[in-house]
Amino acid sequence: MKRAAARLGSHGSLRPTAWAIAITGATALALVLGLMAGARPLTPGQLLGVLLTPDGKIDSILVWTLRLPRSLVATAAGAGLGVSGYLLQTLTRNPLAGPGLTGVSAGAVATIVFCFVFMPWLSSAFYPPIGLLGGLAAAAVTFWIARGGRGRPLHLALGGISVSLFLGALTTYFLMLSGPQVPSLLFWLSGGFQGRSWSHLAHVVPWVAIGLAGALLCRRVIGLLLLSEDAAAGMGVNLAFWKPVVLLLAVLPVAGIAPVAGPVAFVGLASPHLARFLQPQGPGAMLALSAAIGAFVTVSADIVARTVALPRELPVSIVAALIGGPVFVYLAQSRSALSGVAR
Amino acid sequence: MSTAVVETRPRRNPVPLLVSCGLLAVGAVLLAVFLGVVAIAPAEIVAVLTGKGSGEARSIILDIRLPRIVTGVLAGIHFAIAGLLLQAITRNPLADPSVMGVSQGATLGVTLFLLFSVYLNDPGSTARVTALPLEWLPAVGMLGGLLAGAFIYLLAFRRDLGPLRVTLCGVAVGSILHALAIGLIAGWGSARIDVLLEWLAGSLYARSWDHALFLAPFTVAGLLALYPLRRALDLLQFDPAVARSFGLSYRLHFSLALLLACGLAASAVGVVGPIVFVGLIVPHLARTVTRGRPALVLPAAIALGAIVVTLADLVGRLAGRADEIPIGVVTAICGAPVLIALLRRVP
Repeated sequence: MKRAAARLGSHGSLRPTAWAIAITGATALALVLGLMAGARPLTPGQLLGVLLTPDGKIDSILVWTLRLPRSLVATAAGAGLGVSGYLLQTLTRNPLAGPGLTGVSAGAVATIVFCFVFMPWLSSAFYPPIGLLGGLAAAAVTFWIARGGRGRPLHLALGGISVSLFLGALTTYFLMLSGPQVPSLLFWLSGGFQGRSWSHLAHVVPWVAIGLAGALLCRRVIGLLLLSEDAAAGMGVNLAFWKPVVLLLAVLPVAGIAPVAGPVAFVGLASPHLARFLQPQGPGAMLALSAAIGAFVTVSADIVARTVALPRELPVSIVAALIGGPVFVYLAQSRSALSGVAR
Repeated sequence: MSTAVVETRPRRNPVPLLVSCGLLAVGAVLLAVFLGVVAIAPAEIVAVLTGKGSGEARSIILDIRLPRIVTGVLAGIHFAIAGLLLQAITRNPLADPSVMGVSQGATLGVTLFLLFSVYLNDPGSTARVTALPLEWLPAVGMLGGLLAGAFIYLLAFRRDLGPLRVTLCGVAVGSILHALAIGLIAGWGSARIDVLLEWLAGSLYARSWDHALFLAPFTVAGLLALYPLRRALDLLQFDPAVARSFGLSYRLHFSLALLLACGLAASAVGVVGPIVFVGLIVPHLARTVTRGRPALVLPAAIALGAIVVTLADLVGRLAGRADEIPIGVVTAICGAPVLIALLRRVP
C-alpha cells in the first residue's frame, strides 16, 4: 500500500506539494505586503526597522497593534474556514456544503444581532462568547435533526440549511426592528477584520488549531469516509462515533471565527474546490491545501478591502467573492473540475 | 430507483391526494380573503365577491387583498416549479433559484436600478420613497435574474453542461453578484436602505393587479411548457449516460429545463423579491407528501407552493399589524420547523 502510494507520488503528488509550499509562501508574502500597504504606506526598510526594534512611534503602532494582528486574524480565520468547508463537504457528500450549511454562522450572527438590537447596554466584549453559544446551539439542533450524524447525509444538509434559513430570517427581522443601527450591522454582517486586535487573535487561533490538528489526526477516517460510508464501515470505522467527531471538528473553527469576523462567506465553500483542482493525494494533503488556500484568499481579500477604497473599508466577504469568484468560475471550466467531488 | 419503489407497492389511487391538495389551496386562498387587519363581516365579503357590497369593502377586497393573494399564489407556483426543476437537473437536493445565482442577479439589478434612480432624482439628499419608480422593479429584477441565468448557462455550455458544473458555476456567479450587490448597499449608506431591505426580505406588501398580470403570462407559459417536458424531467434525474441510453437528448432537455426554471424564478423574484425558502423546501414537502409516487410530485409541489406562500403572507399580515412582517421571514420561521419535523419523522 505504502509502496503504491510512493509510486503514485513520483508523478502525482509532487506537484501538489510544490503547490502547497507556493501557496504558503504567497500567504506569507501577502502578510508582509499587508504590513506595508495602507493609509500610511511603509517602505520595506521602514518595515524592517519597525519589526526588529518596536518603538512607541506611529509606524510601530500601525504595524504592531493594527496591521499585524488583523492580518494574522484573517490568516487564521481563512485557514479555519477552509478546513471546515472541506470537512463539511466530505461529511455531507455535497459540493455545496460550507460553514453556512450547518447553521453555525447563522446561529452566531442571530444571537449577536439580537444582543446588539435588544440589549444595547451589553458590552461588546461579551459578543464572542455569546456568538459561540449561538453557533454551538445551532449546530446542536442541526445535529439533532440528523440524528447525531447517523441519518442520511441528506438529513444533515437539509437540516443545516433549514436551521440557517430560520436563523437568517430571525436576523432579518431583528434588523428591520433595529432602525438606525442598520448600516453598521450590515457592515458587520458582511464580515470583516477592521480593528481586530491581539485579543481577537487569541480568541480565534485555539479553535482553528484544534479543528485543523484534529482533522489531520483523523485523516485516515476522513479518507475512508470519502470513499463511501459503507466502505468506511467495512474497513472498521465506527460511523456512530466518527461522524459526530468530524462534524464537531468542522464546527469548532467556525464557532471561533464567526463572533470575531462575522459570517465570512465564500471562503469556506470555495477553498476546498480550489484545492481539489490542484489534485492533492489523500485527505492530509487536501486539508493542508484547503487551509493554505483559505488563508491566502482571506488575507489578500482583507488587504484589498482596506486599501482599495481609502479611507473607507469594504466588507471582506465581498472582496473574497470578487477575487475568488472568477478563479472559481475559471477552474470550474477546466477539465479536472468534475473529478474532485466524486472522489 | 424510485420506479422500483413504485412497483413494489400496491398502486394507490392518485385522485384523493390531488383533490385534497387542491382543496387545501382553495381553502388557504379563501382564508386569506376573509381574514385581514381590517375586520370585514363575512356576509359583506360574500356580497363583494358576488358583485355588490359597500365601496370601502369593495376597495379593500378587490384592490388590496385579492391582487396580493393572486400575486402570492402565482409567485409560489413559480418558486416551487423552479426549485423542483433545478433540484432535478442538478441532482442536488439543495438546489434552488438562490443557489443558482438567479436571485442574486435580480438583487443586483434592482440595487443598481434603485441606486441610479435615486441619484438621478435627487443627488445628495434623501428624496421621498414615493419618488422611486417602484413600478419598474419587476421588469428590472426579472432582467437581472435572466442575465445571470444566461451567463451561467453560457459558462457551463462551453464544456459539457454537467449537473455539477452548472451548480458550481451558479454558486460562483451567484456569490460574485451577491458580493457586488451587498457592497453597493453597504457603500450606499442612504436613508432609503429600508426599501431595499424590504425587497431583499421578500414582500407581498402593496402588490397590485399590475403585478399579478405581469406574472400570469409567465405562469401559464411555464405550466404549458412543463407538459411536453415531463418525461424528460424524470430521465434528467439520472446520470447523463443513463438518461442518454433511454434516448433522451440530454443537452437539449437540460437546457430547456434550466431555461424554464430561470424564467419562472426570475419573473417571480422580480415581483416579490428573493423568497429563499419556497423553492428549496416545497419540493421536499411535496416528495414527503406523495411518498413513492414520483408522478404526483409536480402537481403536489404546485399546490403546496401556492398554499405555503398564501398562508405565510396571511400570517405576516395578521401578526405584524401596522408594520407587517415580510413573507420571506414568515416562510422561514414557520416553514423551517415543519421541515425539521418531517426530517425527524422520515427515516
